[in-house]
Amino acid sequence: MSISNSTELICFLVLAFVVILGSLGVVLLGNIVYSAFLLGGVFMAVAGLYLLLNASFVAAAQVLVYVGAVNVLILFAIMLVNKREDLKPIPGLQLRRFLSAGICLGLLVLMFRVVLITPWSLPGPAAIGEGATVRIGEHLFTDYLLPFELASVLLLMAMIGAIVLARRDIQTVDVGTGNEVNQSLIEKAGTPLLVDKTTT
Amino acid sequence: MFSLPGYDAFLGFLIISAAVPILALVTNKVLAPKSSAGERELTYESGMEPIGGAWIQFNIRYYMFALVFVIFDVETVFLYPWAVAFHRLGLLAFIEALVFIAILVVALAYAWRKGALEWS
Repeated sequence: MSISNSTELICFLVLAFVVILGSLGVVLLGNIVYSAFLLGGVFMAVAGLYLLLNASFVAAAQVLVYVGAVNVLILFAIMLVNKREDLKPIPGLQLRRFLSAGICLGLLVLMFRVVLITPWSLPGPAAIGEGATVRIGEHLFTDYLLPFELASVLLLMAMIGAIVLARRDIQTVDVGTGNEVNQSLIEKAGTPLLVDKTTT
Repeated sequence: MFSLPGYDAFLGFLIISAAVPILALVTNKVLAPKSSAGERELTYESGMEPIGGAWIQFNIRYYMFALVFVIFDVETVFLYPWAVAFHRLGLLAFIEALVFIAILVVALAYAWRKGALEWS
């Protein structure tokens, strides 16, 4: 075994360990803030796995989109929940657990099947580094052109949907003062967030 | 086959940057005198006395900015391969990318018009 091979093996083992441990932490920890931060770590480790597979563009996209945007969004959503509520026990918890365990096992079996029946040999030499990104660009603008343009329409729909949902007015009470605060996502003519101290 | 040209330095940086906090914490543990009197147990917060827990309620408007950010983040990721392969792709791909950007400019204009980019 050459040095580079053993380096790769060590990197893979460390990353796999981080992914498995982090995912278990995401599921099992009680505090969802910890879970969200661990999820970011898991995403980073998955990006490392992509790097090991010579897919540097996919790794960069993983860090940019999942760690930089999606995980931040999840954290904001958690931070919007003011305090930990006492959760009521769900009726039929045991049955639900068995059901979800069955579904997860089915997905695992499906994944094993995919691993076993996929022909893993590549048609031609694998592109490495920047060559891989160039190849992604070529595919994106020739045979995957329609999905690429549809993606922009999907993003437009997502944006409009988010804004329409966010425009509903939500009135909440300020914890400190007891006054009503305009918590709608988009600022209307209500109270400005940063109150100018000099005029009041 | 492990062939990541140029990533040897990255691995070195990763190891060194992982070693920095570990060394700092371990040296602190070994060298610093142990005392839990006074304010030693308090969380450090820029010299102020910390108030309340760490889990505070964010202003809900940050969420809107994060949503808008996600949209344009994904747009950047889609445009990067086009920029890298620009010389190979030619005029047609340029027009296709312009269509892509134009559709997202509509999204930006909508967000702007509806005031999603304004703070107060």
